[in-house]
Amino acid sequence: MTPSRFKKILLILAVVLAFGLPLVLRSPTYLHILIMLFLFAYMTTTWNLVGGFAGVLPLGHSVFVGIGAYTSTMLWLQWGISPWIGMIVGGLIAAAVGTLIGLPTLKMRGAYFALATMAFVEGIRVMVENIDKLGPFVLNGPRGLNIPPLPEGSLAAFQFASKEPYYYIILIMLLLVVGLTWRISRSKMGYLLMAGGEEPDAAQALGVNVTRYKVMAMALSSFLTALAGTFIAQLTLFIYPKSVLTLDLSFELAFIALIGGRGSIAGPILGALLLRPVSEFSRIYLSATLPGLHLIILGAILILVMLYQPRGLQEPITRFFDRLAARFGNGNGGTEEKA
Amino acid sequence: MPLLEISNIDVSYGDVQVIYDLSLNVNEGEVVSIIGGNGAGKSSLLKTISGLLKPSAGRIRFQDEDVQGAAPEDIVERGLIHVPEGRRLFSLMSVRDNLEVGAHSRRARAHRERTLREVHAMFPRLLERSDQLAMTLSGGEQQMVAIGRGLMAMPRLLMLDEPSLGLAPILIKEIFRNVRKIAESGTTVLLVEQDVRHSLELSNRGYVLEHGRIAMEGSAKELMDNPHIKTAYLGI
Repeated sequence: MTPSRFKKILLILAVVLAFGLPLVLRSPTYLHILIMLFLFAYMTTTWNLVGGFAGVLPLGHSVFVGIGAYTSTMLWLQWGISPWIGMIVGGLIAAAVGTLIGLPTLKMRGAYFALATMAFVEGIRVMVENIDKLGPFVLNGPRGLNIPPLPEGSLAAFQFASKEPYYYIILIMLLLVVGLTWRISRSKMGYLLMAGGEEPDAAQALGVNVTRYKVMAMALSSFLTALAGTFIAQLTLFIYPKSVLTLDLSFELAFIALIGGRGSIAGPILGALLLRPVSEFSRIYLSATLPGLHLIILGAILILVMLYQPRGLQEPITRFFDRLAARFGNGNGGTEEKA
Repeated sequence: MPLLEISNIDVSYGDVQVIYDLSLNVNEGEVVSIIGGNGAGKSSLLKTISGLLKPSAGRIRFQDEDVQGAAPEDIVERGLIHVPEGRRLFSLMSVRDNLEVGAHSRRARAHRERTLREVHAMFPRLLERSDQLAMTLSGGEQQMVAIGRGLMAMPRLLMLDEPSLGLAPILIKEIFRNVRKIAESGTTVLLVEQDVRHSLELSNRGYVLEHGRIAMEGSAKELMDNPHIKTAYLGI
């Protein structure tokens, strides 16, 4: 068994385990925690497409979550259009918005892009909080939108009576987006993105249109992030500006990616696996006395990680698995390979 | 007709002007040095030629066409290639991938395989280290990657910004030997250097840049014999 084979087997085992878990774990509470875990792994992975590979710092990705959630919900409530279609429409709108934010700001060096994304999400939140009706669409301002639950659930309406379908949907979405990230990281676009992210002058001097690739990554990331918005709306059946359009959510995604290791594929997933429980438990046990504590904890962890593991927690963990794989590859499988 | 012809350009960063009314020519097949101290405007000049900075006045003509204000990728497409100061490698990519990014322009992509063989012939070390991450190389090897990456873009005019920066004396000699090889293979070279002796030794002509202005120009020999240059730059 070669080390790469060993790693492949581990990966397949993890996926099989993830698919089998709901058969053993029947408690809706724990399933919900796992769903949130995968959801954050998904959103951080899509964040990473621009925040990791393109080397910029998006601090307002919740705007795309909000666009996705509001678009599909309004289309469903207003015209009865299936949220599955609304999901795609929301994604396309988010991609257009992402491109509009990116075109002027991704050209500039420094913090402009980060500041613009932050300002944008705040602006949109304040707007939505103050709009009750926009043309034919009811937004309900700060009170948000309720999706009337269908007790028996319906696939076309993206509503289910139990947690399992949501679990599988977000798991498949996560696997697809990780696969896509993996493909991109090995494509020409991925290389040029990374080149432009690290050394924009050198890349430009070689004729790479750095801005164009960054804008493309931003559009793709916005599209995919918006899909998570629809998922959240269908999972909770209730959205309001403070739930899907906040800086809190935007920062949490950035924190998870930075702590896990931006620009790597494992980083966002490991970050979500390790940090989501921290957020979840601090919210369950301490939210009454210390709301927002999870962001303080994440901030403290981020400082420590940046000091001691600037490339994120994925680095020591990957190294550990490499060593494990090498040992298995040379020890047990050695004879096999000689034969 | 010169290959590169710069006439009376001014360049500023915001309100701060760094290049004043500068003119220079590079003819086909020449090696031309631009020498000068820190902050004289050497790197800004190269950035302006390659389109990373826009001149506020003046003209830049390459192969008899105006290129001032053109986008960097269009300038690269014409074969005007800038190897920036300080190597600037893509540290987490392999040596081969760094070289491949060099062949990004449409013109260079078509001949990528052949150029890669030529670069490997010139720098055999880069073939040995093809799969290594660029960040794991020594300073001299990194400089070879940076120059090789520029060659992958198939330059008609190769602009090198301080290739000797931060290298040990023995490696500096090797880098200059390679620059000579590149010139002998027919590529025109515009070399920006603080190592005045080495760069003038392999150049046909040189310009001395001081405070953003051309202070002196002439054949390499004239410059080396000039008393001002001897005291200010050669330390003799």
